[in-house]
This record gives sequence, structure tokens and C-alpha cells, in this order.
Amino acid sequence: MAVLTPTVNSNALIAGFDDPVQHGQQVFRALLKAMSEPGTLIELELNLATPGLLNNSTWQTLLSLLDADTQLWLSPRLNSDERVTSNLRFHCQSPIIDGSKAADFAVALADELPVLRDLNWGTSEYPDRSTTLIVQVPALSDEPHWELTGPGIESRKTARIAGLSEEFRLALINSRKRFPLGVDCIFCCGSKLLALPRSTQIREMRPEEGEA
Amino acid sequence: MSTATGYNFAYLDEQSKRMIRRAILKAVAIPGYQVPFGGREMPLPHGWGTGGMQVTASVIGEADRLKVIDQGADDTTNAVSIRRFFATTAGVETTESTAAASLIQTRHRIPETPLQADQILIYQVPIPEPLRFIEPRETETRKMHALSEYGAMQVKLYEDVARFGHIATSYDYPVMVNNRYMMDPSPIPKFDNPKMNRMPALQLFGAGFEKRIYAVPPYTEVKSLDFDDYPFEVQRWDENCAICGSDHSFLDEVIIDDAGSKMFVCSDTDYCRSRQTNATESATATEETLS
Repeated sequence: MAVLTPTVNSNALIAGFDDPVQHGQQVFRALLKAMSEPGTLIELELNLATPGLLNNSTWQTLLSLLDADTQLWLSPRLNSDERVTSNLRFHCQSPIIDGSKAADFAVALADELPVLRDLNWGTSEYPDRSTTLIVQVPALSDEPHWELTGPGIESRKTARIAGLSEEFRLALINSRKRFPLGVDCIFCCGSKLLALPRSTQIREMRPEEGEA
Repeated sequence: MSTATGYNFAYLDEQSKRMIRRAILKAVAIPGYQVPFGGREMPLPHGWGTGGMQVTASVIGEADRLKVIDQGADDTTNAVSIRRFFATTAGVETTESTAAASLIQTRHRIPETPLQADQILIYQVPIPEPLRFIEPRETETRKMHALSEYGAMQVKLYEDVARFGHIATSYDYPVMVNNRYMMDPSPIPKFDNPKMNRMPALQLFGAGFEKRIYAVPPYTEVKSLDFDDYPFEVQRWDENCAICGSDHSFLDEVIIDDAGSKMFVCSDTDYCRSRQTNATESATATEETLS
């Protein structure tokens, strides 16, 4: 693992939160609701200009959670986008690293997801020392595709997360057997986001179940 | 707006809040597991709710309405100081009404009025580790949690049964969260334990001394430990509340003179007051109907 030091191109810089204290808190509360009520679609109220390939909800999530204490891994296209790396370095000061295993936060586009087992799942004594994976997806809805159960869900919820590979979907569903180890995911699309912490059980629904 | 100048919103600096926020999100993702965090000094001593205050400071925003209770009461020193602290440093609205609050910081009680979705209950925790009095070494208790090795606690409860004929633990009564982690519910009376089970509100726990945060998401199964032949039971009173007449709330025994006379009153002051108000209103309504 090496810390990459992309140069900050000042021409690529854009503004972050107008009010970092209040806006950071509001986005955290949205994330807290998302994480404590898995599968709930959350719409962020603020609309910010975003750097390069990042969308509004990914950008705000990173602005509110990251700082110099969090190691960040970016998927290849994000990592080669100078507007993304310059702004993350400038606003968050997070060290950007080249090995996903040591990442506190990993940010990926849906079509270039890291292999799930190459992220940090924590240890059985310290399962919290694990990666939070933020995935930018093409579409998010509550259509019946995945059935979600577990803490934070009253009975059951449904969600459709577009753009995930078959390999990743299976790996994510199977990772539940390793609880309390695992990776917590935040899926972002436009200004919407949805979280699936490791405690949420996922079942792929059969197509005919969708009509019921 | 905040009335104190020279302080950040809600006292803590932004980097500390972000660190605590990240710990809270991990705690929510692993229900009942204690996440270590970098505890900060707060302007009051440990043991006065510094853990709960750090969680509150990281969660609270301008739109929140805060209620603080100490043993169920809104008007005791600890509750008044903490409520004033956040009114001053964050300028948020405060309330004594359980139903009107979006955030409730509590020491040793869960309000009698059932909490709703989107409310957050923040507990002040003195000792977060339920196994600490059985196993003093942190390295060992970590391993016990990792392996779900909780037999020692069952033995402790069994010793109660052998010695007293019943489980004598009456507060700080250990629970299993989501059927995986054993959790210390903080020193709430065991009377309150059933309220934690599948509560629609989010429950966050902050221990300032020991620098641990843990959480129970909404609608999560929380089960008090027991035995098939000695099922979990809550306290019961023969008396009713002397003020509102409630026969189902947690009662405090109050000595009222030098002769040792006593009365029993609701520990939850807001609940007791709202019952009195309702009683007065319905009495007035009845009078109006009759006249």
C-alpha cells in the first residue's frame, strides 16, 4: 500500500459546503437515517456543484465524513480524474491510497467495483475497523428486486440497485454469513442515497414475486 | 442561533464530530458492538454524562428539539445543566415533552411515553462492558464478544437464582442485541428493558470514561437474558403514583418526613405531569357537560 500524492490543480477546484458546520451535520443526519433504516431511499436537500465524475450525493457524503484521518481508495476512473482527486485532496485532506485493503473509505463507479474480499472486513475483535464502500450507481429505487430484512427494518423492504455486476451481488449477499465482519455500503445516485450495512440480510426475489 | 460566542456549534470542533460520527455509523451497522472512539474532554467531569454529550454534540442540528432527563426527571441538576449547555452552545430549542423532542439524552431511564420513528434516544453510559465485573481484562472481553462466549453471564444470573431464589439484578440488566452481541443497557432499571425491544426510535449509547459508542437501530430485537424456568420479569409495585395515580409506570420511593413516612411517585416527570393535565382537562370537560 502506498499513499498516492496527486497534485492539486487549483484550476479544477470548486466550492464545497457553503456552511460546512450546518451542512456537514445535515448530511450526516441523512446518512445516519440511511444507515439505521437500511433500504430507505434518502433524498439530500442540498444541491452542490460536483467535481468531475462524482455525483451530488457521493460528493456530499465524502465532504461530511472524510478528513485527514481517513484513508481513501478510488476506483480507477475516479483516480485518474484530476477534478475528483484535486477536490478531495483540497477539501478533505484524505490520503488517497492504491491498495483497497487498507481503505477506511472506498469510492467506486458501479462498473468498476473492487472485488469485495479485497476490501477491509475488520477483525472479529474489532469489526468496526472495516471499509465503508460508497458506490455511484446509475439508478436506485424501491422496486422489488432485493428483499431486505434485519435491524432497522420493521418487517421487510425492497430495493433495486442498478449497475452492479453479478459477481459483486453474489459476493455481497454471501458476505452476510461472515457477520459481524463485513463491509458497509452506501449507494449513491444523483441526490439520492441508500445504505446497506452488513447487518442487512439480502434475498434476490424471483421475477414473478415482483408483481405481487 | 447559538448565544455563546467563541465556541463552535454544539461545543465540539468539527474534526472531533466527524470522528464521532464515523464511530456512530459503524456502531449502527454492528448493533450492540462497542466501537472505541477518541473521547474528548468536555467542560464537566466524567460521570456526568460526557459520553452522551459527545454523541449529542455530534448528532444535533439547528432543526432539533432537545430533551434531557436524569432518572426520568427534567428538573434535576444534571438534566438542567446539559439542557442549558446545548441551548447555549447550539442555540437549539429545548423541551420537556417526550413527544415533542427529536433528540432525548437520558441518564438511567427510558421515557414512559413510547418513542416514535425518527426520534433518537441517547444514553449516558458509565460502564459499557457487561462482562467487566466478570472479566476485568479488555483483551479477554473482546475475545468473548468475538466468539459470542457469554456463558459466564448466565452463571452469574444462575448464582442469583441459587442464592436468592430469583434473578436479583434489578438495573444494568444484560441484553442480547439482534441475537449476536451482549450489551449493557446502561443502568436503566430492568423495568425499562422491554421498551428497548423493537423500539421504533434509534438508540445511541455514549460512554465518556471508557470511550465507547454503541447503538441499537430501530426495530431491532433486544432480549433480556433469562432461563426457561426463571423467565425475565420486571419490577412491580403495590402502590400507585401518589400524584397522578398511575398503576403502570416506574415509581420512586420518596421519604417525606422524619418519621419515615413515604410516598411513591412516577420517576418520569413529564409523563406524570401530562397525566395530571389530562385528568384536569377531562374533569373540566365533564363539569361543563353536566352544567
